[in-house]
Amino acid sequence: MSLLTDQALQIAPGYRLQWESAQNMFVLLYPEGLIELNQSSAEILQMCNGSNTQADIIQALEIKFETTGLENDIVNFLNIALDNGWLTQQT
Amino acid sequence: MAGSHNKLSPPRWLLAELTYSCPLQCPYCSNPLDYAQLSSELSTDDWKRVLKQSREMGAVQLGFSGGEPLVRKDLVELVDYSHELGYYTNLITSGYNMDEAKIIALKEAGLDHIQISLQASSKELNDFIAGTESFEHKKETAKLIKKHGYPMVLCVVLHRQNIHQMKDILDMAIELGADFVELANTQYYGWAHHNRDQLMPSQEQLQNAEVIAKEYQASQQGRMKIYYVVPDYYEGRPKACMNGWGTTFLTIAPDGLALPCHSARQLPNFDCPSVRDHSISDIWNTSTAFNYFRGNDWMKEPCKSCPEKEKDFGGCHCQAFLLTGDAKNADPVCDLSPQHHTVTDAIEQASKTSQTGEKALLFRNTKNSKLFNH
Repeated sequence: MSLLTDQALQIAPGYRLQWESAQNMFVLLYPEGLIELNQSSAEILQMCNGSNTQADIIQALEIKFETTGLENDIVNFLNIALDNGWLTQQT
Repeated sequence: MAGSHNKLSPPRWLLAELTYSCPLQCPYCSNPLDYAQLSSELSTDDWKRVLKQSREMGAVQLGFSGGEPLVRKDLVELVDYSHELGYYTNLITSGYNMDEAKIIALKEAGLDHIQISLQASSKELNDFIAGTESFEHKKETAKLIKKHGYPMVLCVVLHRQNIHQMKDILDMAIELGADFVELANTQYYGWAHHNRDQLMPSQEQLQNAEVIAKEYQASQQGRMKIYYVVPDYYEGRPKACMNGWGTTFLTIAPDGLALPCHSARQLPNFDCPSVRDHSISDIWNTSTAFNYFRGNDWMKEPCKSCPEKEKDFGGCHCQAFLLTGDAKNADPVCDLSPQHHTVTDAIEQASKTSQTGEKALLFRNTKNSKLFNH
């Protein structure tokens, strides 16, 4: 599945993004599995709320972290997340 | 970090084996052979205490298993409570006796996912292996699970008697709308160990099955995820058992015993603690059983000086015990183990059994379990 630039991103059905205070980190939960997320992955996934597109996410995170040039990293991560089935896009 | 003494990681995975009761009689069941003599089941309140304490420790993935967890009258109540605590709740079931009302009730209680097992792709073989007529009913249940919007894992345990159905099994998974398929080669513990000669496939059967699994993995990419669990008897290196002893997994057995892995009960003089007497935090942090194989200090050669010891932690201790009599030996699946011949002998023995006519399978039921009372 390739990333569609004009389509909103959301966490796939059956997957759940959740803050775990015991471990002080976000995790992505799915049937019989979990992925422990580093800070940047967690920041991106939190933006995948069903209304943000790739461009929205890049813009929001660049503003939040007062930086530029995040596009490559974010697009790479979104592609990996789509390939792994963590995210979906409406078509 | 896995295997490190200094920094204890919290449990992330709680396996709640609610009961040893099961309407099926699969001869590869991983439950203990002598389950019929184990003492009474935990109460609903006991389970709630375990769930709460484990969640506070950090457990977040929760599997309700057994036996058949649907047998417990309080299943919906326990799912509801677990969902409130923030667990991702998985029901690991045969699907037998699961009607639409129960599927809906569990959904309303917050159940996140259902794993349903089938024993084969044909009615005749499924019902033979299950020891119970269940094939059509299970398939209907699988369709209802999807109808109500659950993600569904279809689990099929593979062995010599069904591995030739690989392609049909995968076509069936597609037909049923499975999101994930777990094709798990039998692991030889409990009843499966007892029936090993009749269950172990040949190398050739495995190779054929693996080719088919790979084809479907490619063609189903993006639709259905296929996990193919390799049989460790044919691997040169052991599995990294439980992701490292006491690092990730916590199993609570029906009678309240806390186990670092679901086979650990059989290890001699191991004294696994009970949740009836101890808190989860005491069990995880200070019990002898959970600390026994943490770190590397327990290791003997060839593990002690092995460059791969941080990768597989010496393999499976229960398997080392079953095949060599000493849980501290290297898992004999490893071809560096001086006892590796126990594995190759077992393969040869199973091959002979398949050529000279099958010994009868011993089915997993209470009557047969009582044969193992001591």
